[in-house]
Order: sequence, then structure tokens, then C-alpha cells
Amino acid sequence: MVSNAPGSPTLHNTAAMAVELTAITKRFGAFIANDGIDLAVRRGEIHAIIGENGAGKTTLMNILFGLLQPDEGSIRLNGEATDVTDPAAAIKAGLGMVHQHFKLVPSLSVADNVFLGMEIRRHGLIDHAAQIARTHELSKRFGLHVDPTERVGLLSVGIEQRIEILKVLVRGARTIILDEPTAVLTPQESRELFQTLRSFVAEGMTVIFISHHLEEVMEVSDTVTVLRNGKKVATRPTSELSKDELVRMMVGRDVSFARRPRAELQGEVILQVKDLWARDDRRLPALRNASFTVRAGEVVGIAGVAGNGQTELAEVLAGLRPASHGEAWLKGQNLTALSPAAIREAGLAHVPGDRMVRGVDGNATIAANTLMGRQHRAPWSRGGVLDWKAIGQNAGALIKRFDIRARGASDTVKRLSGGNIQKVVLAREFTNSADFLLIDQPTRGVDIGAQEAIHDEIMRQRAAGRAILLISVQLDELAALTDRILVMFNGRIMGEVAGDDADEDRIGMMMAGVSPQLEPA
Amino acid sequence: MMSDRLRAFSGQIIAVSVALLMGAIIIILVGESPVHVLMTLLRGAFGDQEKIAGTLLQTTPILICGVAACIGLRGGMFNVGIEGQLFLGGFAAAWVGFTFSLPAGIHTLAALALAVVAGAAWVAIPAFFRARYNTNEVVSTILSNYIAVLLTSYLTIFLFKRPGGWSETPPILATAYLPEIFSFSRLNWGLFIGLLLAVGVALIFRYTSWGYGVTMVGSAPKFAEYGGVNVKRQGFVVLLLSGAVGGLAGGIETLGVHHRFMEGFAPGFGFDGLIAALLANGSPVATIVTALFFGALRSGSLLLEVDTSASREIITVIQALIILSVSAQVLIRRRGDSQAGERRWKF
Repeated sequence: MVSNAPGSPTLHNTAAMAVELTAITKRFGAFIANDGIDLAVRRGEIHAIIGENGAGKTTLMNILFGLLQPDEGSIRLNGEATDVTDPAAAIKAGLGMVHQHFKLVPSLSVADNVFLGMEIRRHGLIDHAAQIARTHELSKRFGLHVDPTERVGLLSVGIEQRIEILKVLVRGARTIILDEPTAVLTPQESRELFQTLRSFVAEGMTVIFISHHLEEVMEVSDTVTVLRNGKKVATRPTSELSKDELVRMMVGRDVSFARRPRAELQGEVILQVKDLWARDDRRLPALRNASFTVRAGEVVGIAGVAGNGQTELAEVLAGLRPASHGEAWLKGQNLTALSPAAIREAGLAHVPGDRMVRGVDGNATIAANTLMGRQHRAPWSRGGVLDWKAIGQNAGALIKRFDIRARGASDTVKRLSGGNIQKVVLAREFTNSADFLLIDQPTRGVDIGAQEAIHDEIMRQRAAGRAILLISVQLDELAALTDRILVMFNGRIMGEVAGDDADEDRIGMMMAGVSPQLEPA
Repeated sequence: MMSDRLRAFSGQIIAVSVALLMGAIIIILVGESPVHVLMTLLRGAFGDQEKIAGTLLQTTPILICGVAACIGLRGGMFNVGIEGQLFLGGFAAAWVGFTFSLPAGIHTLAALALAVVAGAAWVAIPAFFRARYNTNEVVSTILSNYIAVLLTSYLTIFLFKRPGGWSETPPILATAYLPEIFSFSRLNWGLFIGLLLAVGVALIFRYTSWGYGVTMVGSAPKFAEYGGVNVKRQGFVVLLLSGAVGGLAGGIETLGVHHRFMEGFAPGFGFDGLIAALLANGSPVATIVTALFFGALRSGSLLLEVDTSASREIITVIQALIILSVSAQVLIRRRGDSQAGERRWKF
């Protein structure tokens, strides 16, 4: 097994292409995750695959690595047509994949994890000394600093990732796929990872790198392939691309929504955010110095490539994440000091971006899901006792009003389609008579018909005088619905444009981190 | 399409059947007839009214401990310390029983009240660390069992020992007894308390605002947090209540059956209760059935060694097989939930 290690002579193949995917299509039910994608990766390059969440990046790589079988299309590895039936076949062909979620044994040492399943043996016993020496050698050669004798359970995520990469190397990979490798890393660790990736190509290996972070892609890759909604947009040399071109390819120009007509009815200020800062889960600043207001009867949009602080902003406003600095006033109450329940009491309704985790309990019925947040309020509850009959009747009425396609209020939510689950969330949140609606990615993963219905409902809420903050990665959605659009990049609000003047070039520049010529509002 | 509830139910039935089948094979291997063993078990558990009463007597503590476990499971908390809470509750009730002299009825209530407080206080330590520092409650409650068992032994042997040979406290006063139901058995009102508790807890979870919030904390914690439920506080409260019921189980065992606290007075009821609750998928009402099942196994096994060549330890083996196959079945059912798998892995 050890003879397959990188650098040692393996199958000689002089084909220029390490990987060629032709017309790959993959469907999950009615949903098309990959739609006729062609991808050619040259030997010895760092090839980035970039796209928004749900663009089909991971699906494509899982097909390449044999974890999924394509419905259509073919795969050539090193110039030879290959049927990648399972990961074992992919590994045999010289592929290696580092997943987003690591699969290590915490109680074993680093070296034992690296060689798990292919232990070096001596007299029938595991030769720990040889495993440690080999791990040490590889880690030095590629700058993957680890102590081979340390136990994995004691190590940080960044080091766990290095171990995963070592595992792939030891199994003889010449083409290494990394799925969002930087998502769990600090900036310092990311820079070290990029060094390692460069040392791979310096040895003639090939790297495929999945990401949705522009900066990294611009920094480390030789070639970029952009995916959007399951389709390939383009493959281009990185040096020929600018950041805002890349952004525009990622988010797209296809306009599927017309701008909604509206009456001016701006009222009093409902939400006032002042110098708001917050940290992400890695304790790094993710929201920086945000200040803005939202008035009654106004839809304010937040544009930006996913992961630029929008999630943190939404979570701080909903009380689900502490602010590290600054204030957010909802009708005179400072949200940063309140619990989620108190913020709801103060007048927040929230359509969360992560619908299946935050927005519903998939195992519960529609009726039980419509109760969340008002289980202590009359008429659903009297003296702490629930009136399930009233709750069920109300859920039935909501199903009618929001056109939720379900058999009834006692249907389990996870049996519904994505669009109908989102309608359950909207039905609950929009009928709470809250003054401020925080709406995060309302139409992600929702079919076109349901998208229109959801937009109708948002406009109805605007007409009813609600203050609405709409976070979306879809520019056309923002252009259709909003009165003003704030653009976020790297945790900051880069600038503001009017909703009826949503110039995509200007927004794209700001999304890529280029400051607008005009003063930001 | 099968409903989730039906699928869970049929899964449990299959798991128990597989365990019984494996038990039958083991019985054959030790040279006994499974049919004969089963008939003896049934006769031992339900053969006449005294045997039925004996089965119900064993069922009572398992049922109450099972309800304690259900309360924890509903709120997403694994209280594996019920055994320890039962021991402390049992001791606390005995102490009230032999130390004070109060009117009948009031004496019983006072003893049960202190048992409840003792159980809750004992679980409060792991519950606090869980809420404050997110320590794993499974580990800390398991460990608290050992301390509880040894602590009550110490109290019994060194501080409150009855003069004479046995490691037990003085007997409690008759005013603190739980009344017996029949003249021929020690079966007592504890059974009714257990049944009421099971139904009451089920109703509370289903029909109160608080129960709704706790259920959501157990099944979808992020959703509950988003909806304004204080996840940490409810986790703490749920563990406390679970411990309180565990303590109550010990008090009932002391006041209804033994009328004193003895070292090692209730071996394994806490764990059997937890298994009964898991087998019942965390439903207190279904726990009535599963507790009866385990109670019958325990009580039927008494006749095994008399009438068959199988050892009564075979019952322990069958119980272990049930635990294994039920856990396997739950894992298989959640195979698609990779996140759950990962949580288990990290654990």
C-alpha cells in the first residue's frame, strides 16, 4: 500500500486532463441538482469550483468521487473513461476527497488515524514506528504540521483537516478534492492550507477546491468554474477575471421577477440599528459597524454573497446571537439586551434562513408548528392549558389562506415540499401582528409558483404598514420587492441603492468589496 | 405510507421479538426448552392472584422510574441517574418515617415530599453543570449513581443503623406506611400513584404551554430557541423534575414495601425504568405497558429456578438482549439522520 504514496512512481499517464466530466446530470426527485455539467480539470492546476449554496458543487464532486451515481453523463480520469461506481474505485484511480465533515477516531493517535484500514504491518502486528515516521515525513513535505503521536480527540478542527488531507495522500491520491475546506478554518489556518495546496501542484498533483468565498478563489486558484442553479456558467483562467465579474457570474443576471408596484407609505422608524458588531461561530468579527433604519411600510433589502455577515445580522436582531458591540432599537427597546422571547414580545416576526433547523420541527404537525412563539398567548392557551381544537382550526385557516398544499393541519411538516414548508413558516410569522418582519432567504429552494405567492404575501405585509428587512442572495428578488437595498461585504454595509434603481453592475461591485463612488448612506 | 408513530411502534415490536428469539436460542443451548421456560415465566408472573400482585409490586417502581426517564427524554435530557435518585429518595423517606412522629397520612405525605426533594436535589448537581457549562448529563448522572448508592450505605451503616445484624435503618412508624391494597401482598397504593403519574405527565406534555415548549426543546432545540423557549432553563427544569420523580419512586418503595431503608434495597429499578421508557419511545402511557413487561419478567423469574433447569440469570440476559436490539433498531431507523450520527460520534 505504501508504494502508492505520492511522489513514488505510479501509473504513468501523460494525458493533459486529470478529470473530464461530460454532460453530468443528477436529479433528486423533481429537483435537478446538476444539469448537463461539463468540467475539465488540467493536470497540475488548482481548479476552484464556486457557486452559491445549492448551486450543485458538492453534488458534482460526490459524483466524481463515486458517492453518487449520475443519471446521465460520463467521467474520464487521466484520459481514460472510468466508471466510478464507489469511492474505492475513485481512490484506485488516484482521486482523494476531503469532506466538509471529518471522519476521524478521536481516541486514536494522528498516525493511527492516517493509516486506519491500511496499517503498515510487521510480523503481523501494526508497525507504529513506521506509521509515525511516514506521517511525519509527509507532514513535513507538504507543510501539514501535525504531531503524529498526539490523540485526535485533543486537536483543533484545523489540525483535524490536515489529518484528513494526510489520509488522502497516504492512499496515493494525485488529484485531491476539497469541499469548502476553509469554512472551518481561521484566516491564518486558511493561508497555511493554501501553501499546502501550492506545494501539491508544485509536485505535479491536481487540486479541486470548492468554495463560495471570492477572495480565496482569487488568491489560490489557477482556473475557476462557476456553477449556478445546477448549471455551469463558465470556466475561466483566474487571472482573466475580476472579483465583480465573478460575483455577477455567481448570482446571475437572469431576472425572473418584475418589480412590484407600490404606494409610498413610509411611516415612523420601527428598527434602528447603530454601530452593530457581532462575531461568528469561530469568534471572528463577522458583522462590522452596521447602522441603518427600517420604517413602517418599507421593505429594506440586504444584498450580498452568502457568508458576508447577513446570517449574523439576522441572528443578532432575533436575539439568537449576542452583539459584541452596538445597539439595535425596536420601537424604543434595545434588542441586544433582550432574550428571543422578549424580542418577539417587542414586535419581531422572523422567517429564518435555515428553515429546516430554525423554522420548523419537521417531525411535528402543521398545527404544532404554527403554535411556536405564541404557546403562552390567548386564545391558543388559557391559564397555561392549550386549546388544541382552536390551534387546529387556526392552522386549517392558515393552510387555506396561504395555500399550503397539505392534507390537513395534522400533517407532519417534513412530508411537505420545500415551498410548502416555507409557507408554514410565513403563515405563522406573518399572522403574529408583529411590527417588524425579519425575512431571510424567503424563496431559497422554493419552486417558482410558490415564490410568486411568497412575494405577494410580503407585499401585502408592506401594504399593512409593517417594517420589513429582507435578506436575500437573489438580486432580482430584491429588485422586485424592496424600497432600498443595502449591500454587505465582509461584514460591512458597503453602500445603499434605491430599489427602483437597482443597477446590477453597481451592486455587483459592492458585493465584491469595491466601494461605491457615492457616499454610503 | 406508514405513519411515524406506527413505524416506531412496529420497530420496537420487532426489536423485542428479535431479543426473545435470541433468548430462546440461548435457552436451547443451555439444554432447556424455551416453551417450558416461557410457560414457567407466565405462570410465575400471572399464575394466581398472589403472583399477579407480585408482578404489579415489581412493576410499580419500574413504572415510576420509567415516568422519570420519560420526563427527561421529552426535554432531550438523558437522566441515567434515576437509580441514585431512587436510593436517596428511599433513604429520605425512611428518615422522615423513623425520626418524626406525625399523624397518619400527613406522615406519609411528609416522607414522600422529602423523597421528592432529595431526588431533585441529587440531580440538581449534574443539571446545574449541564445548564451552566454544557457538560454531558449522561456521564455526570451515571457517576452520581455510585455516589448515591455508597452515600446511603454510609448513612445506613454508620449513622442510622438499627441495632442488630442487618445493614438497615430502624423501621419507620406505621403512620408513614403507604396502605396496602390486598391482604395477601405488599402491593400498595404506590401502583395507583404510578398510574396517575404516567397519565398526568402525558397530559401535561400534551395539553400545557409549558409541555409544548419542553417537547420542542427535546425534538428541535434550535427551533425552540428561535421561538423564544429558554432552552437551557427548560433543560435544567426537566432534569430536576425527572430527579424528583426518581426520588418519589424510592420513597414509595420504602414506605410501601420495605418499611425501612436497607442497603441495596432496590437493585436496578432505576435502570429498568429507563429501559422501559426507551422501549416506550418516551411515552409515559406506553411505559405502563413496558414496565409491566419488565415487572412480569422479574417476578416470573422467581419460579424459573424452582421449576426449570435454567438459571434466573437468563432473564438478565434477555433484558440485555432487549436493550441491544432496541438501541440497534433506533440507530437503524435514524440512519438517514447524519447529524444525529455525528453527534453520537463526537460524544
